[in-house]
This record gives sequence, structure tokens and C-alpha cells, in this order.
Amino acid sequence: MSEAASTPFGAAPAVSVVGLHRSFGTVHALDGATLSIGRGEIYGLLGPNGAGKTTLIRSLIGLVTPERGTVTVLGQRMPDRAVLAQVGYMPQSPALYGDLTVEENLRFFAAVHDLFGEPARRGVGEALELVALTERCRSVVATLSGGMRQRVSLACAVVHRPRLLLLDEPTVGVDPQLRVELWQSFQRMAGEGTTLIVSSHVMDEAERCGRLGLLRFGRVLAEGTAQELRRRAGVERLEDAFLALSEDPA
Amino acid sequence: MSLRRSGAIALRILQQFRHDRRTLVLVFVAPILILGLFYYLIRGGSSVPAVDVVNLDRGTVGAAMVSHLQTSTGVAVTVTDEGQAQSDLSSDRVAAYIVLPANLTASAAAGGSLTPAVHLEGTQPGLTQPVLDALNQAEADLLRGPSGTSGSRLPSVTPSITFLHGGPGLDTLDYFGGAFVGLVVFFLVFVVTIIAFLRERSQGTLERLMASPLRRSDVVAGYMAGFMAVAALQAVEIALFTLYALHVHNQGNVGLIVLMTLLLALVAVNLGILLSMFATTEFQAVQFIPLAIVPQVLLSGIVFPVSSEPAWLQRISELLPLTYGVDGLRQVMLVGAGFSGTVLLDLGVVLAFAVALIGGAATTLRRSVA
Repeated sequence: MSEAASTPFGAAPAVSVVGLHRSFGTVHALDGATLSIGRGEIYGLLGPNGAGKTTLIRSLIGLVTPERGTVTVLGQRMPDRAVLAQVGYMPQSPALYGDLTVEENLRFFAAVHDLFGEPARRGVGEALELVALTERCRSVVATLSGGMRQRVSLACAVVHRPRLLLLDEPTVGVDPQLRVELWQSFQRMAGEGTTLIVSSHVMDEAERCGRLGLLRFGRVLAEGTAQELRRRAGVERLEDAFLALSEDPA
Repeated sequence: MSLRRSGAIALRILQQFRHDRRTLVLVFVAPILILGLFYYLIRGGSSVPAVDVVNLDRGTVGAAMVSHLQTSTGVAVTVTDEGQAQSDLSSDRVAAYIVLPANLTASAAAGGSLTPAVHLEGTQPGLTQPVLDALNQAEADLLRGPSGTSGSRLPSVTPSITFLHGGPGLDTLDYFGGAFVGLVVFFLVFVVTIIAFLRERSQGTLERLMASPLRRSDVVAGYMAGFMAVAALQAVEIALFTLYALHVHNQGNVGLIVLMTLLLALVAVNLGILLSMFATTEFQAVQFIPLAIVPQVLLSGIVFPVSSEPAWLQRISELLPLTYGVDGLRQVMLVGAGFSGTVLLDLGVVLAFAVALIGGAATTLRRSVA
């Protein structure tokens, strides 16, 4: 666990989670989760269904209040509403206003993140380019396909150019070509200093993350690059490493 | 058609009912609640209209009339003087007062015409008829009874009727119009808000809003501003249509009507946000209509006057914002009340309800996301 608490770039981490506990009824969704993510990292949060990935991501933005433990985001102890202006969040299912157009949705989410006027217009344009939907900006969201809606949802999460981007299974339902393009955009954003946390159970995506955290039983069981994890488990494929390393240590 | 396949569907529907307690409540509790309310409103009212009787006649006929009225089951009679009766009527303590003129016994003996004066309050049609019925009955008893006139010629009875407010020229729509203006806006704004807010929740956008720097109060205030803008147009449209196209009687200020309607809309918006907490689907939101709205409509005095409800139901009516809205609108439109007295109180109470609901809606918002 000492490895889990280390910060790779020495600087103050973008996200720091220490000993997070949260249960829903008798289910311990988070049971002492601890992790630290440096600025500009792409951190992959891996784990089977019900491992606590979504609860962890939601607790980073204060949607889930932990029973114990601390969350620090961009240097601010959470909950802190002001810091949320610099955080982008893309939920698992595309949460959009179906009766508005693509552009109206983007404008709205820019405004709730305190982005107005010319900067908002520029943000909307860039977000549309990122997801390759500039042509469809006047389409009503309800008329778009599932994959397109997923892209609009991503655009809404980046429209205010957040310094921390939380993506809950971002490329589900997106075709392979666009997936490659999106990952290129993610890399570019990370290069510009944005920190990305990507939850996934798709191994192909995990390979693209800078660092991986293996979440299971509400704890981070292993952490490292894909290569490190494979080596440590002594297996060829990430999937097997994942299975080998995620056995209950208790 | 396959019996077994259809049977599978029927079984599935019953299973869904078993898992959906809320619908079971709706199907089995709501009818009992609503019909029970009707029972208490129509039959349970031990309280009948209160009526003052002023007897200026010193003869036998006047005394006989008074005793016949007192034994009537349709009204609750108090014998008093004219000044007291007038003040009771204007302060709404009685539905009417009846003055038996000084010449009653003399006229009866002469076989002339008896003209008791009936002064009706007039804003609540449901109370007018029982008073007239009781008077007719007392007259019939008088003319038939042993204590009546001994002469061979029977006197004729022609009560003179005056209305403090409204009058015989008012029809049912005039009486209900004011209340309906408020009710329509209240109901529609409530339904639109609760559905809109539920959609916000079910499509996940509320979660997104909570992940932004928005405060809960920003969300509630934004919802209020958006819906109130539409409600304001709606209130003006309905008021103008009611007054100038339907020619519903109005003695008061149109601005006051719109103001009261807007306050009711404000209550409805926040009630919608608050109740959306307790529903997860739009279907469940619609279920609030028979459970939360219909009883409120029945108890608000729109159809059945609050004063004729059994005492324990009156206590409930006093806890409902719609009751005050309806009363205020009637005061303005039928009585011609201005921005003072009862109307001010009604406006204040509705505003207080709105403020309390705003607080409630804002505090429940957090829980509604998790």
C-alpha cells in the first residue's frame, strides 16, 4: 500500500484519497480506499462491477459523503463547491437534456460552471471539435444515436476546460475509430496538464492509461503501469494480471 | 390467442403490483380517502349554516316563527338584535340573518302579506340554499300549525331577500370562477414542475448539476424563476379570459387576482420540487395527484365551504395553502376586498407557505441526488 500513496511527479497531487469508507446498508462500497494521482496523469480505475469505482468517483466530487477518510481535490479538502468549477464529470449514462440541441446543452453546462460570453462560445466550439460533432450542433439530442449522445456527454464534461476530468466508462458504445481519436484527445489534454481519471473494465482502455489502480472490495489492491502489473503477476495479459492481483487479501 | 401466454402476462402484471407498493396504495387507499372525505364533507358536517334571527315583532306570530326556526335542523339559529346581526354577517360569522318585521302579527291577523327580510352573505352558494329552505319550512309550519293565525284567511309569505355580496344575478360560474382561476394555475404548475424535476433526476442531469459549483439554492431559485415566468403569463391569460371573455363577476382589482394566483403558483413550484423527492418515475409523480392534490381541492373550500366542514376537517383545511388562496380570490372577486384585511392575511399565509416550501425543497435536494 505504500506504493499507492506515493505521488509520481513530486508536486502536490491532483487527487488524494486517504482511508475512504462508505457503506450503503450492509454493502461496503468503499472500505479504506487510498490513492494519490499526480497532475497531468491519466489514471485508470479498474475493477469488476460493484467494486466501488462509481462510488469512488462520486465521492471525489462530493456526491457521496464518506463516513471516514479524506478527499483532497486540486489542493482543496472536499467537499468544496468552488473547486468544482475546475472539475469535469462525465457520468456513466449520458446525462443530457434530450429536448435541447447539442449546442444548447453545451452552453448550459458551460454556464453552470461559471463560463459565459466569448469564453463559453470558444469552449463550446472546442468541445464540439473534440467529439467531432461540430456539424450536428443544432440537432436535438433526443434524435441522436447512443454513441453520439455519449460523445455529447463527454463534450459537456470538458466544455469548461477542467483541470481534473472524471470519466465514468467514457467510450462505451463509441465505435473503434472514434475511440482512438478520443484517446488521442485525452493524451493531448493530459499533455496540457489536465488530470484524467478513467473508470473502465475494458482492458483495451486500461492499456492506454499512464497508471492503473485495481479497485476491489472497496480498496485499491494494486497500483502501477500496465506493464508493472503484468510483471508483478507474472502473466502475459493484463486481464490475467487483473484476476491474479484482485484476490481478496483478507 | 394462447391462454397460457396471456396468463403469463396477467401473472407478470400481478407480480409487478406486488413489488409496487405505491401503486397498491393508490389503488386501494386513494378511493377510500377521497370517498371518505366526500362523506364527511357532505354528511359529516354537524355544522349547518349559522343564522341570526332578529325578531322585531312582539306578537304571537313572530315568536312562533322564531321557535320554528330554532327547531329547524338545516340552520343553527341565534336570536339577537339587528346591529349584532349586521356585524356578524359582515365578519362572516353567520351565513345570513333574518329580520321579522314589527308588523308581522298584525299583518297575519289581517290576512295580508308577511315579509320577513333575509340578508344573505352571498359569496358561498352552498350556504344560501339551506337558509332559504329553513325559512320556507318555518313558514310552512307556521301556516299549518296550531299556533298560527286563527283567522280564516291565510296570509301569504313573500320574504324579501338581499345579498351583502353578489346576489341573485350571480350564477354558479361567478361563485366558482375565482377559486378555479387559482386552482387551474396551482394544479398545472405543480404537475409541470414535478414532471420536469423528475426528468432532471431520472436522466441524470441533476447529478451533473450537483457536480458543478451550483448551490442547491441556485437550482431551486432557477427553477422558480423559469416556471414563474411561464406561470405569470398563464395567470394573466387565465385572469383576462375569465373576466373579459367569460364575463365572470369581479368586484375587485385584477392585479390582486394575478398576484394571488402567482403566489399559488410559487407554492406549486416548490411543492412539485419537494414531492419529486418521493417519486422515482413520472408515473409515480402522477400518482401524487389523487393522493396529494384531490384531497386538497376538496378541503380548500372551493366546492364545500370550510365553515360547513366538521371541526376536525376544518383544522386540516387550515393547514392547506390552497384554502387561503381560494378565500383570497373569492374575497377579491365577490366581496371586492382590496389590498387589506382578509386579503392581506390570505396573501401573507400563502407567501409563508411558499417560503417554507422553498426551504424544504432546497434541503431535500441533496438527498434526492444520492
